[in-house]
Amino acid sequence: MLAILHLETEAYGRAVLHQAQEMLRRNVSAGSVYTTLDRLEARGLVRSRLAEGTPVRGGRVRRYYTVAAKGISALSDAQSALTAIWAGVQLPTEVSL
Amino acid sequence: MSAGTQSPPRWAEALLERLLSAREQETVVGDLREEYVESVVVQRGRLLANLWYLRQICSFVPRRLFQKRMEGQILQATSLFTFACACWLATMEMLLRHHGYGLRIVIALCIAMISMATILCRLAQMEKRNEGWRWAGALLLIAIGGHAFLRNVRATHFEGFAFLISLALVLQGVLLLFRRVQKGGTEYVI
Repeated sequence: MLAILHLETEAYGRAVLHQAQEMLRRNVSAGSVYTTLDRLEARGLVRSRLAEGTPVRGGRVRRYYTVAAKGISALSDAQSALTAIWAGVQLPTEVSL
Repeated sequence: MSAGTQSPPRWAEALLERLLSAREQETVVGDLREEYVESVVVQRGRLLANLWYLRQICSFVPRRLFQKRMEGQILQATSLFTFACACWLATMEMLLRHHGYGLRIVIALCIAMISMATILCRLAQMEKRNEGWRWAGALLLIAIGGHAFLRNVRATHFEGFAFLISLALVLQGVLLLFRRVQKGGTEYVI
């Protein structure tokens, strides 16, 4: 969902795949990205719409994704939880190790 | 080289389409074609690009395999197979009465009961209610199948039929263990 938010209006499958690879700093297979997108949409966390394809794609349509209100709420909850977990934690410095 | 000659092999695209739902066919195949033509072929060359495409196809296989319908069909088939095998083994043990036949009959009957319960629950489309039994049955099948598999591998005489049954038991156990349950839905448990 963060990858979709980063891409704003350009979040279609291939772009999300690239963004996910960039954010995770590793190769991500197409299957795992599309499966995740499919599940997020089934849960109502993201929405999708179809748009016209390009000649490179053989005219095949693109599916653009946007984060739904429910998704924004879920992201906000996750962020709050993460902030709470890290609150007051100080990682030891190299010298103290 | 034109975009047409740089596109992924047609058979590979056809194979990918077979793995996708009707809703995804156009969009996913289009995305991967775009990536192949604009990025992968340019950076890696055609041979490596084709290998990359194959890897992407493979990444869709687990999802296809574990889709509700296909997963259910495989579970049903393995359950039928292990049920028939367990009944046959129990009958043979009763007739031949080799040393320790009693325990083997009990194990065979356990397998037959679990398999029959799996088949009946699926046919009756039972709702979520037997979680504990499902886990217990699945773990028992994996334990029996795993034990039979290891024993067969270590034995001096390899028995193909026993090997096949042990694989079926493990597969049935794994499918049963990881069977998806829809919360509050009408999807059956086993």
